[in-house]
Amino acid sequence: MRAATGGSPPFSLAAKVRKYSEAARLGLRNRLAYKGNVAGRLLTYCLFVFVFSRIWTSVFEGRPPIEGYGKEAAIWYFIVAEISAFGFARFFGTVGEDVKSGQIAYLLARPYSFVGYSFAQAIGPTLYDASLLALAGGILGSLFAGPIPLQGPAQALALLASLLLAACLQYLLQTALALTAFWVEENSAFYWIYQKFVLVCGTLIPLEFLPDVAQRVAFLTPIPWLTWAPARILSRWSPEAAPGMLLAQLAWTLAAAALCGLVFSLGRRRLVAQGG
Amino acid sequence: MPVIEVRGLEKTFTLKTKPEGLAASLRSLVRPLRREVRAVRGVDFEVEEGEVVAFLGPNGAGKSTTIKMLCGILEPSGGRATVLGLDPSRQRTRLAASIGAVFGQKSQLWFHLPPSDSFSLLGAIYEIPRPELARRRAELVERFSIGPYMDTPVRKLSLGERVRCEVAASLLHAPRLLFLDEPTIGLDVVAKREIRLLLEELRKRDGVTIFLTSHDIGDIEKICKRAIIIHHGQVVVDESMKELKHRALAKKRLAVKYAGPVDFASLAAPGLTILKSTADAASLEVDTRLHRLPELIRALVDRGEVLDITVEDEPLEDLIAEVFEGEDAEAARAGAAPEALPADDSRGEAAAGARP
Repeated sequence: MRAATGGSPPFSLAAKVRKYSEAARLGLRNRLAYKGNVAGRLLTYCLFVFVFSRIWTSVFEGRPPIEGYGKEAAIWYFIVAEISAFGFARFFGTVGEDVKSGQIAYLLARPYSFVGYSFAQAIGPTLYDASLLALAGGILGSLFAGPIPLQGPAQALALLASLLLAACLQYLLQTALALTAFWVEENSAFYWIYQKFVLVCGTLIPLEFLPDVAQRVAFLTPIPWLTWAPARILSRWSPEAAPGMLLAQLAWTLAAAALCGLVFSLGRRRLVAQGG
Repeated sequence: MPVIEVRGLEKTFTLKTKPEGLAASLRSLVRPLRREVRAVRGVDFEVEEGEVVAFLGPNGAGKSTTIKMLCGILEPSGGRATVLGLDPSRQRTRLAASIGAVFGQKSQLWFHLPPSDSFSLLGAIYEIPRPELARRRAELVERFSIGPYMDTPVRKLSLGERVRCEVAASLLHAPRLLFLDEPTIGLDVVAKREIRLLLEELRKRDGVTIFLTSHDIGDIEKICKRAIIIHHGQVVVDESMKELKHRALAKKRLAVKYAGPVDFASLAAPGLTILKSTADAASLEVDTRLHRLPELIRALVDRGEVLDITVEDEPLEDLIAEVFEGEDAEAARAGAAPEALPADDSRGEAAAGARP
C-alpha cells in the first residue's frame, strides 16, 4: 500500500454523487435493520388520519365546500400535509444531539460537507418511513374519502417533487434550528415553536381556512411550503398554479440551504470538544 | 519538510459554571458565570515523515484538544499548526482526505451494520475509485485478519475485533498520517498486542507517520520512537524513547530475598529507598548516580544468606508519572499552580459539545 499524496483527489461530480448517495444507502440499510421501528409512527399517523377524517366528515355533512375544499379534498389534504409534518419531523433531534454530545467533532474529521452528509444519511430512512405513511394514507383515504384524486402523471410528478422539496426544506430548517445548540444549551423550545407553526399554518387545517391576514403573514415564511404546497397539489390540483408553487418551494429550499450553511460555519467555530 | 509543524499553538475554552444552590441558579439566569480554561498553552513541536510519536500526558493535559486542532476539528485560539503543508482549520476538508484518525472511544463504523458497509461508505467519502477500493479493502482484510467479521453487524463484534476493523477502516484511503487517540483503550492483552504489531508493520512497510496518544505504556514502548509529554497544556518533554529510557536507567529496582530475617532499616540512605519489606525480603529503588550497583549488591550479600536477587530498570510508566509530579511540584514552588482543568480525558464526550 503506497502513501497517498496530500490534499483532495481531483474534482469528480460522479465521486461527489457517490459519496452522498452511499451515505443515503447506508442510512436506509441502517433503518431496515430495525424495520419494526416504524410501527409506532405508522400507528400514530393512522390514528391522526382516522380522527381528522371523522372531524371533516362531521364538519362538511350537508354543507357546501369551504374555500374550495369539500369533505374529500379536506381529508386528502390532511393525509398529505401530515406526511410532511409528521414523516419529516426527525431531523432536528439527530443533528441537535450530534452537536450537544460532541459527536459532531468526530464527524468533521472527514472530507465532506457536514450538512450534506447528514442530509444524505437522514433522507434514506425518512423517505422509507414517509413511503409507508403514504401507503397507509392512500389506503385510509380511499376508505374515508374515495379514490385518490390523481388526474394524471403530471399531477403525480408534481406531488412527488413537492413532497421531496418539502422533505429537503424540513431538513434544512430543522437543521438550522438544531445547530443553534452551538450557542444555547437547551434549544428544543425553538423546535417546539416551529412545530406548532407548522401544525397551525397548513397541517391541521388547509391554509385557506385561516383569516386573510394570517395567510399573508404565513406566506412571508417558508412554513406553508412544507405542508400546504404538497397537500394542495393533491387535493385541489391546478396545472396552472403547480409550477409556481414548485418554484417557490425550490426558492425557499435554496434560501434555507444558505441559512443552514451560514449557521453551521458560524457555529463550528464555537465547537468545544474537550477530552478524549 | 515536517509532516506536522506546530508553533505556539493555543486553545482557550470559555465554560459556563454553575455554582451550587437555587439562588446561584437564579443569579446565573441574569448574569451567567463563565471562566476561561487554557487547555493548550503555546505548544511547539515538529514531526517528520515516517516518525512514530507518542503524545503523552495525564487526563486534562490537552492531548486530545491538540489532536482535534491538528485534524481541523477545533480552531486554535492562538499560534499556528501546519499538517501535511495545510492549515487544518482553514483546509479541513482537503486535509481530511490525507489523514486517518482513530478515536478509541468513538466508533466510525455503523453500529447496526457490518463493517463491509462502513468500508463502502468510507471508500465513497474518500472518493476512492471502486476497483482501487476493492483492492485496498482486500489487502486490509487480509493484513488485519478481519475477513470473518466483515459481514457481521458491528454490535455483535468483540471490542478487539471492532478496533481492528476501526484501524483498518482508517487506512482505507492510504493516509500519510495517522492520528490514534487511545487506540487500545479497553482491549485485552492479546488484542492490544495484535494492534501494536499491526501498527509497527504499518510504519515499517508503508512509512506512515503515526501520532499516538495513549495511557498504555505498552503501546508507547512497543510502537513509538519518540515521546512528547504534555502537561497543563505545555510540552514538558520532547525526546526520543531511547533518551527517555536512558533516564529510566538512572534508577534501578532491586528485589532481594534472604534465608532468614535481616535488618533493612539501616539500609535507607539518600538515593536508596525501601519500597517495601518483610522480615526476610525487600524491594529497593536505587539512584545509580548516587550508589554504585556492584557495591550495593555486595552490601546486600554481606547481610545474610541471599536466596534470590533481581535487578530491573525503573518502569517507564513510573518515570512519566515522575515527570508529571515534578512539573506540578515546580509550579507549586513557583507559586503559580496551574488552574484546574475541568475536562477529564476519560470523560470524553461528557465534556464535549457546543459552547453555551
